[in-house]
Amino acid sequence: MAVRVQFENNNEVGVFSKLTNSYCLVAIGGSENFYSVFEAELADTIPVVHVSIAGCRIIGRMTVANKNGLLVPSSTTDTELQHIRNSLPDSVKVQRVEERLSALGNVITCNDYVALVHPDLDRDTEEILADTLGVEVFRQTVAGNVLVGTYAALSNRGGLVHPKTTIQDQDELSSLLQVPLVAGTVNRGSEVIAGGLVVNDWCAFCGMDTTSTEISVIESVFKLNDAKPTAITSTMRASLIDSMS
Amino acid sequence: MTNKTDIIKPRTVRVYELDDFEKLLKGIKVAACMITESHQIVDEASVIRRLSALTLNGPSDGNCCSCCGVGPFETRAQQTAHYKQHWHTHNLKRKLFGKLPLSLGQYNSRQDDDLSESDSDTETEDFSRKPATDLFAAATRHCKAFFTNEKGQVFCVYRCILHHKKEELSTDGEGFAWVERCQRLAIPGFQRWAVLMVSGGNFAGAIFSGGVPVVHKTHRSYVTRRGQGQAQSVRDQYGNAPKSAGASLRRYCQAQFLEHVQEVISNWGNDLFGCTFILYRAVGSVNQAALFGKNSPLKREDPRVRVLPFPTKKPSYKEVKRVHETVASVEVYDTMELFQKALIASTGKPVTKSMSDTTVERAKKPQKSPTKPIDRAKSRERTPRELPTQMMSSEDEGPCFIDSETPKDWIKKLSEQTLNGTVSSSRKDLLNDLSTPSHMDTESETDCVTDKKEHAKKKKKKKPEEKQDSKQQKKVPQKIPTEIKKMWKLISSDQISLETIFENWESAELEAACNTQDPSDGNTALHKAAIAEKPEMVTQILSAGGDPCIRNNQMQTPYAATPHADTRIAFRLFQGQFPAQIEKEKKAQQKRAKRQRDKEKQMEKIKTDKFLQLTDAQKVKAGERRCFLCGSSLPKTPFEYNAYKFCSTRCLQNHRNLRPLHKSA
Repeated sequence: MAVRVQFENNNEVGVFSKLTNSYCLVAIGGSENFYSVFEAELADTIPVVHVSIAGCRIIGRMTVANKNGLLVPSSTTDTELQHIRNSLPDSVKVQRVEERLSALGNVITCNDYVALVHPDLDRDTEEILADTLGVEVFRQTVAGNVLVGTYAALSNRGGLVHPKTTIQDQDELSSLLQVPLVAGTVNRGSEVIAGGLVVNDWCAFCGMDTTSTEISVIESVFKLNDAKPTAITSTMRASLIDSMS
Repeated sequence: MTNKTDIIKPRTVRVYELDDFEKLLKGIKVAACMITESHQIVDEASVIRRLSALTLNGPSDGNCCSCCGVGPFETRAQQTAHYKQHWHTHNLKRKLFGKLPLSLGQYNSRQDDDLSESDSDTETEDFSRKPATDLFAAATRHCKAFFTNEKGQVFCVYRCILHHKKEELSTDGEGFAWVERCQRLAIPGFQRWAVLMVSGGNFAGAIFSGGVPVVHKTHRSYVTRRGQGQAQSVRDQYGNAPKSAGASLRRYCQAQFLEHVQEVISNWGNDLFGCTFILYRAVGSVNQAALFGKNSPLKREDPRVRVLPFPTKKPSYKEVKRVHETVASVEVYDTMELFQKALIASTGKPVTKSMSDTTVERAKKPQKSPTKPIDRAKSRERTPRELPTQMMSSEDEGPCFIDSETPKDWIKKLSEQTLNGTVSSSRKDLLNDLSTPSHMDTESETDCVTDKKEHAKKKKKKKPEEKQDSKQQKKVPQKIPTEIKKMWKLISSDQISLETIFENWESAELEAACNTQDPSDGNTALHKAAIAEKPEMVTQILSAGGDPCIRNNQMQTPYAATPHADTRIAFRLFQGQFPAQIEKEKKAQQKRAKRQRDKEKQMEKIKTDKFLQLTDAQKVKAGERRCFLCGSSLPKTPFEYNAYKFCSTRCLQNHRNLRPLHKSA
């Protein structure tokens, strides 16, 4: 289900958190309210970890992650990297990348199988991305925006994209990503989808301003109503997709 | 690219010309550029419809790449392969910059030159590629609102007569709020406006009804002291008010001015009450206080009270009328295209701006002096500077400088000469003239003649070092025997031989006479003969013992001084005939010098021996500057102990060691 949450009176929860199917990263905040909401929802299934990147709290925009791995920008300090490695499950590969476009979360969006990236992303980064996160990488734009990580939120079950994405583009993207996509908004009309929403296969967190209509759209496109963390969604899906395509 | 000159000036209609304005208002709509696009409303039902469509039909129509115009792909492998091609990325970028995509063939054929192009594209964003968004941005920021009517005309109305600055009219949907406000302007009796302007001690105000002024008033007062800077009123507020008479006068006038303006406004109270808008311009607290001060019928919160949206000139009745007319005017463009052109041009796109800037710069460039920042790490180029005051001598002998060394009377003389129209040949000559005035007097006229001749000869010669000349000239002049002068005179005359004179002298006398130098220019008889181009005479003088090595004031030997080839040959012939004569002389001289030196040495030795034989006490008494031990002369500051002086530390030490112990304490 989708949960409304605020980070210190800020609705851009996607900036301060990163949610995947195997772990959740949360920024170190002044109060623990934000962390508590995540922990209450997720603690039974996946670890929720306090993290900072280069001393900043905007971890959601700086990192890119899925259940297989985590990429952090080169500005991440060694202690932070060590802390992340210690806190995350051993199966998660953590990798630091030297990339000019250092806000990785803004230029890359991914689920556990595919990733859309900024057209100007370095080829080396693309390779590391494919290796670490185990994804197929496509260079594409969302509604004419190169910041695909900002204007799209993806899970293995669906995706929400910038409200001005044309139907044609949505069709193409969903055919490319192999997940149904819908154009929509969060936080009462905000087009910065990934800023206001973090999502995995069974759970979503969105800003406190998000309207009930928006919530219902989110729940239906990400199929959160009946979702539970199951083996089918997380482990068996890859083989299913391969056999179906 | 649109130039401002291309734009046709729009027709203007005044709001108070009711007939025209009403015609314009028929079928009024808010212009498309004003309306914000409302987001596509997504609700659950539509999402479910879409999702079901996706799942039922599969991604059939999405199975292609619209960006590159490829597809539909047959297999997933084909699709993923396409999205990983450079061609696709390239087309994506082209699309972002509003260009058409390239086909694969085109891409491959012009890949090389296009790569660089796309790189440059990413750096320089071209705004002209997005006219629609540009227009919207320009329109929403503009101080006017735009409407269209049924004829397709576009007209612009100042926002300040439609709504208050703080009131926001929704532009969503059709923009009915805007239309309603605009239509209200056409209601008769709605054209009663007031315009008030206060600035720098000037007040101008008028109330217009249907474009005709009902009341108006202007007032001028002395409230700014130009010479003192204009911020004196601000200084007054901080408590350190200037106390001068002018300042107090200004303060008084300002108080008067405020009172007067407030009085005018309160008198107009009833008229202002009936106004639909009160447009004002009053910048600064003082000016605003004049309009909205205590007991003023105007209130800043009043929605009718609005600021003028454009800059104005000094408040005057004429300016108030102009402002009223400008605000009331409605610009009408006949077609949308004309309007768009004008709007984009008026908002000043970055592209056009930069172009005009460069042209202006290009025009300005030649006027500007090139002021580059100085790089002090590098050596700079020399700037050409003027040489010191320089005068070319009339005889072309080389430059002649005036500097601090130059005697004052010389400069005086020079100036006199230049006044007379004659410039002396060179500085040297002038110096010579000054330093040897007595000789000039005593010497005969012919001497002067020879001098002149010499100068004539010197034309071709290089300029000698002047300083040395002057030094030599400063020597105490010797007395020249009249016979020698006679000889010189003879040399310069037409005579060929000197035998007649030589007969009079004895050999020693003759030699001395031949080697005597003329004090005026340092020439010997040999010089004079050489310069006078007389080879026979030269030979005679040489054989009589004339020294060919003596140099004159120009540092020339007689051989060098002659311009005549035959004379030179005479010198050489003499050298060939009597090589020994010259050498013998030299040897004799050396011998003499050596003998002299030996003598001196011996004298010295005797002296030192004498000195050394003395006891130490006697040596002290003698007071000679000699080393007490070795007897050699002492340096400037001798090494000494007690009263004994020594040339070196070694001498001192030895002397000490030689002395008995009990004495050297």
